[in-house]
Amino acid sequence: MNGMKLIINNPPPYGGKLVNNIDKKEQELKGSPVYDIKPEIDRKSGAPIRNVYREIMSICYGFFSPLDRFMTKEDVDSVLKYRRLPDGYIFPFPIIFDADKEKIKSMQLKEGDRLYLRLKGKPFAYIDVDEMWDFDPADLAVKTFGTPEKNSDALKKPLDEKHPGFSIYRNMSGFAIAGKVFIINEPKFKDPYSRFWYPPERSREEFLRRKWRTVIAHQTRNVPHTGHEHLMKEAAFMGDVEPCRGILVNAIVGAKRIGDFVDEAILEGHEAVNKYGYIKPERHMVSFTLWDMRYGAPLESLLHGIIRQNMGCTHHMFGRDHAAAGDYFDPYSTQELWINGLPSYGFDAPPYDVEKGLEIRPVNMQEFFYCPRCNEITYSETCGHSEAQRFSGSFVRGLIAEGVKPPSVIFRPEVYSAIVKWWRVFGYPFVNKKYLMQKEDELEVEVG
Amino acid sequence: MAYKIGLVLDEERLKLIKGTELEKEIKDLFGGTLKMIEVEVTEEQAKILMQLFPRVRIDARGFVEETPVAFRKALYRSLINHRSKKDALEAILKDDKLLNEIKEMASKEDEYIPPP
Repeated sequence: MNGMKLIINNPPPYGGKLVNNIDKKEQELKGSPVYDIKPEIDRKSGAPIRNVYREIMSICYGFFSPLDRFMTKEDVDSVLKYRRLPDGYIFPFPIIFDADKEKIKSMQLKEGDRLYLRLKGKPFAYIDVDEMWDFDPADLAVKTFGTPEKNSDALKKPLDEKHPGFSIYRNMSGFAIAGKVFIINEPKFKDPYSRFWYPPERSREEFLRRKWRTVIAHQTRNVPHTGHEHLMKEAAFMGDVEPCRGILVNAIVGAKRIGDFVDEAILEGHEAVNKYGYIKPERHMVSFTLWDMRYGAPLESLLHGIIRQNMGCTHHMFGRDHAAAGDYFDPYSTQELWINGLPSYGFDAPPYDVEKGLEIRPVNMQEFFYCPRCNEITYSETCGHSEAQRFSGSFVRGLIAEGVKPPSVIFRPEVYSAIVKWWRVFGYPFVNKKYLMQKEDELEVEVG
Repeated sequence: MAYKIGLVLDEERLKLIKGTELEKEIKDLFGGTLKMIEVEVTEEQAKILMQLFPRVRIDARGFVEETPVAFRKALYRSLINHRSKKDALEAILKDDKLLNEIKEMASKEDEYIPPP
């Protein structure tokens, strides 16, 4: 025996324990300072770009474990400098509860107090206030993502307000309340979100029930075309002594951009892949995480690694241009991070090969396209022909907008039906201003 | 760098192209399940399109995507009139009145597209 261990199993939660900040006993808001959660608005466009309730949900249900709080100045400084929390665990982004300073001042809130939070006018959560601190949103936005000079191994050009993640930090109020956050009144997800809600404790139970010892995570914010489907099938072959037993689709649900597919169609489109047997349901399940994406490419991939390890996944697929918007990042910077590390962000080695690193394994994939010679969807690194017919999400969106049903070889008819179902509901196949405003007004949940 | 706009051809559009010199430009995609004509777009033209229609982007294949449906319909009509891919795009980009009409129609596209 040489001691080589081939069999792998669901990793422990990151940091060793899942955060579970649900305080069912605490109900009393009377006489205490109360703050109403409102969407963050882009000052230029007037569009909602973030709602901090999503961060509260993801912290309190353990998606971001070991993070159990809104960050202090020390936390944020550590994240910006090392991409780690002060205790050494990786965390890529500042998680900040930014508030209206004047309103907070008028409450005479002080450190050590409990601040109650209302969502849609109903009791929702509280923060045990450790610190209140000021920051410069413009400076924070730049430092969160870095600059091409300092981060030349990842960034091609400086981020600006056209970048949705930069815009989130740039539009913050400049006043932060830090401390542990607890949910006191668990919101109920609306249809269709409710059946895809698998917070880490529940996803781990589900994996156990399904005997999914190895699970590969698929990050999505798109309705799946057959390129995505093949990516999932092929990437799943990276397991241990056998392919991964399960594929977890984990959609990021949050504030949308005009032209995106609507979240409802994304979830039901992925569900159609298993419901109609393109990947058997015993091997494939759909879930989501609430998060207003920062589109930080390699930085975002670190958060994805944390979330999916917490959910119990052993592997994570990373494609070209993972979780990016525009052409700010080198399209291969995420894969580089997970192969060799990105020193400029504090990773001299990949995130699984550093102290207090992640235990989830990367599966870096290239491209799938249609090859007319093979007469099927093929993989760029194995197909030896040179007549690739590529299709992207935006290509498919173009067909749909023009009233052309995409051919089944690139888009499953049942996935298209999921789009049409929600198209009839919203009068539009994609996110438009009306959908955006309505979604951010009504959110994905009801609060009792 | 040159980019492309892929103009999808359904049965109605194909009818008007068959028998013309444009027919040889038709590309079969995805095992013949989709037919398309690719119109070349210069760097300068791509910039103009991105200014006119803020959602327009270049995808990983080098295609100019997310142009409004009204624009693609106008490009198809121009193609039929001019019988030349190069002239078809140039003619649209020179015609301010037409561009304004397209922009007007495009703004309504953001509100409602009838479902199939």
